[in-house]
Amino acid sequence: MKMKRNRFPAIAGALTAALILTAAPPLAYAQERDSIPNDVRVGIVYQPSFRPGIAFPTIEAPEELREMADSVRRIILRDFDYSDRLEPMGAGADVRQDGPVNYPLWDELGAVWLLIGVIEGTADAPVLRLSLHDVVFRLLQDVRAFELPPLRHPDVRLAVHQASDLVMEWATGSSGVAATRIAYVAPGPGGSEIFMVDSDGFRPQRLTSDSSIALSPAWSPDGDRVAYMSYQDGEPAIYQLDVLQRTTQVMIDLPGMDMTPTFSPDGTLLGFAATIEGRTEIYTYDLVRDCCAQRATFARFANSLSPSFAPDSRRLAFNSDRLGQLHIFTKDTENGNAELLTPYIYDRSVHNAGPDWSPMGDRIAFHGWVAGVPEIFTVAPNGRGLRQLTQVGRNEDPSWAPDGRHIVFHSTRGGTAGLWVLDVVTGRIRKLVGGFDVRLPDWSGRLDSPSRSIEEAAADPNSNNP
Amino acid sequence: MSKWKNKLGWLGTMSLVVLVVGCGGSAPAPEPEPEPEPQMEQPTVDEEAERLAREEAERRRREEEEKRRAEAERQRVLTVLAERVHFDFDKSDIRADAEEVLQRKVTALREFPGLEIRIEGNCDERGSNEYNLALGQRRAEAVRRYLMSYGLEAGRFATISYGEERPLDRGTNEEAWALNRRADFTVTSSGGL
Repeated sequence: MKMKRNRFPAIAGALTAALILTAAPPLAYAQERDSIPNDVRVGIVYQPSFRPGIAFPTIEAPEELREMADSVRRIILRDFDYSDRLEPMGAGADVRQDGPVNYPLWDELGAVWLLIGVIEGTADAPVLRLSLHDVVFRLLQDVRAFELPPLRHPDVRLAVHQASDLVMEWATGSSGVAATRIAYVAPGPGGSEIFMVDSDGFRPQRLTSDSSIALSPAWSPDGDRVAYMSYQDGEPAIYQLDVLQRTTQVMIDLPGMDMTPTFSPDGTLLGFAATIEGRTEIYTYDLVRDCCAQRATFARFANSLSPSFAPDSRRLAFNSDRLGQLHIFTKDTENGNAELLTPYIYDRSVHNAGPDWSPMGDRIAFHGWVAGVPEIFTVAPNGRGLRQLTQVGRNEDPSWAPDGRHIVFHSTRGGTAGLWVLDVVTGRIRKLVGGFDVRLPDWSGRLDSPSRSIEEAAADPNSNNP
Repeated sequence: MSKWKNKLGWLGTMSLVVLVVGCGGSAPAPEPEPEPEPQMEQPTVDEEAERLAREEAERRRREEEEKRRAEAERQRVLTVLAERVHFDFDKSDIRADAEEVLQRKVTALREFPGLEIRIEGNCDERGSNEYNLALGQRRAEAVRRYLMSYGLEAGRFATISYGEERPLDRGTNEEAWALNRRADFTVTSSGGL
């Protein structure tokens, strides 16, 4: 197989690059990496890219808010770690903060950033004040006060994630993705139900109780709703779930099977697949006018499904078997021909599926078979720069985080199946949710309103967090 | 005596079934010839009562037999209809062994025009979850088209795909996969049967 043949040059190239890295700054490495002339790069090479250290001493708080302060600090430190962009530092946790900031001390400890937190107010209405200091340039970068819900309130974690996302923006120029959730499918009494979990693996919650087969959850751009496919009325149709109210309503119910819903990023269209004359085609439904399912693919004797919109909502990536192999295609949402994205390999059992267009627009993730085992790949929307990101276990159904660098996917790696999060830039990987039949994840956009969660999951919030 | 009678009854049923099967399973049981009116002169009251009782027993026996025959026939048709067909990996073509199974269904469906069935396409676990929904649909549709090609009405068939969501065997091996790549059949209207 073509990909296999290229494995050794790719590794050799990566090794060479790694050697260069030791002598050259990270920028030079990035250029070197992009010039490796292989059309397929195999595997994630762990790139110890520079992660600026951030020190976050213990949050000052009155006694009644002590527990809150410690909990908030733990959440924020974990967010920094999971961001793969900052390196939370253990050092200096107990440095006293009275008086002016001792920049030389923090510099000596190796910090690039220093985050000082104070919690004031009452247990019912705590206020978190965060100030970020640039240790290198010895100045106050930014400061903000956040009104938080009380400690046991179900919205606390999301509110704290939002604070840490803002700190991330102060430090790096682009917001973090801690205040996001992942919807997914897990086993239920009648087959499967839709669940969601916070981006840090806390608070897994069941969203549906249809006692039927529920599949393919897809977040609305505002994060208020999840569209999904369900057999609850016998014939598969697409339903819409209000995440706050936990109510569902039928969204699409054409004759035959309706499946694989996806919202356009501008929120005006729902893309989905439906059976027509025994095969499957992609349609779009106008959510603004609430009407008019319009057919988007035209391939007689073939199936097209699993659409995913480009960030501008004007193009679609999708899955089709029209060439006799399963491939990823792209096309204009309204008109135009489908263009083959993944390489056609003569006489091979090619099975490329589950495309997800990065919110940054620059890559399309999908899973494809390597010797019959699904692995995660990304490719540029023009078909260039195919990269294989996984090599261990079966890896399926990738979904991008809003930052366009983290991917959640189903994997059987390490003998313990579940959902895993991969940082495409560094190759760091972490387990999000365990469970063999936990699958079809969809990463939400950034969630801004803290009022969207209802009840704390009954389970120990740590139970699914590795 | 009663043992012997039971045996006779069973034999009778068997012979009828054999007869029915011999006729292609389509011939209804022949109406029993009406007993000729007995021309006996002046039957005694006892004899008359005995004759009536005998006739009654005979009638009941025939009814029972008829019921049993119908039930056996029903079971036979249901078994034929429920018989699964299997597919090759990532294919929806009707295999030769599946064709035999479907031929039996064609016969049964012709015999009982009131029967309606749902064809349920299923897949093994290997393809993508979502693609398997489409593949299962294609399999159900291939079966439907095959049955329709024998002149059976389209309206008698509904199709649905369960993708890889309803495996018969949860194993991760060739055997399990081969078993799971299938179409199941559910009778949705048993009119006339």
